[in-house]
Amino acid sequence: MSESKSEELVNVPWFDPFTRWMLIIMLGVLIAIFISAKYMDMHHMMAGGTDDVVNALASHAARAKSHPFIELPGDAQVGAFSVANFFVGLIVGHNWKKLFG
Amino acid sequence: MHIEDGILPPKAWISWYAVTAVFVYAGILEIKKRVKENLYYKPFLAMVGVAVFVISAMHLPVPVTGSCSHPCGTPLAAIVIGPFATSVISLIVLFFQAVFLGHGGITTIGANDFSMGIVGAISGWLCWKLFRHFDSPLWLAAGIAGFVGDVMTYLTSAFELALSLHGHIPLVKQWMIFFAGYGPTQLPLAVAEAIFTAAVLQVMYNRRPDLLPGVSDRKKRPVTLEQVKTEG
Repeated sequence: MSESKSEELVNVPWFDPFTRWMLIIMLGVLIAIFISAKYMDMHHMMAGGTDDVVNALASHAARAKSHPFIELPGDAQVGAFSVANFFVGLIVGHNWKKLFG
Repeated sequence: MHIEDGILPPKAWISWYAVTAVFVYAGILEIKKRVKENLYYKPFLAMVGVAVFVISAMHLPVPVTGSCSHPCGTPLAAIVIGPFATSVISLIVLFFQAVFLGHGGITTIGANDFSMGIVGAISGWLCWKLFRHFDSPLWLAAGIAGFVGDVMTYLTSAFELALSLHGHIPLVKQWMIFFAGYGPTQLPLAVAEAIFTAAVLQVMYNRRPDLLPGVSDRKKRPVTLEQVKTEG
């Protein structure tokens, strides 16, 4: 590797203002979620989704059983969301760099 | 707003598919046109598409009501890629959410796209246009668009359910019953969506104003020849 190339790599900012701000915002949102979840847990709230609440209400009104197209039990849902979010992050990052980089 | 399979009768979900198809067709034409006009439109489409996918599956807890709900992302998408194009990406998003994430159903994609990708997007976009027409700051117009688009999405979902299931109960009463299931949790999230929409659009504008055609901040608007003549 040429000297100029390696010098360029050494100077790549790994904690630039964009990364710093994104981390600050992410931590802020995660702390807000943690506090909300803790509050709901302390007050024995279900913390279920409103989509589920309204679907159950509508099922009752329709006298029919509603169901999602696919059921993801337990940690499978967390896994599916994590995989989706990881690749979404890569695609957004890739295009963001092209557009705003 | 992810209505599941088995709730809407076939007559209703087929009708919602038909209504949605009209907007999706207009969206495909809009995409074809804008791809030719703007070389950056394709990466925008990809980025916004996946962003809507994740935003509309992102359940956030609201401690006041003790339940969780998600924003939509479609008002932002409508401003960036266009209101009709949003109905196309929203359709794709809802399909993948139903198939891979257990969110919503296949028969209800038409109804769900109508609420999130059409009403949510167009109402947000109209607010954006209205506020920008009256020279409102970019962040304010975007924020209002995010809030209105989010609330309108859930109002429409509740209406879709009520229209099919109200039976002998007055339609408006049943509509409000369903909306009461969404509303209290959704209002704080609509505020969050407003802040998010305003922040993202402002960041995009600050970095590359040229990529957002038709969006010009009044403070940064170029000086016209007439202004030079009159103001010296």
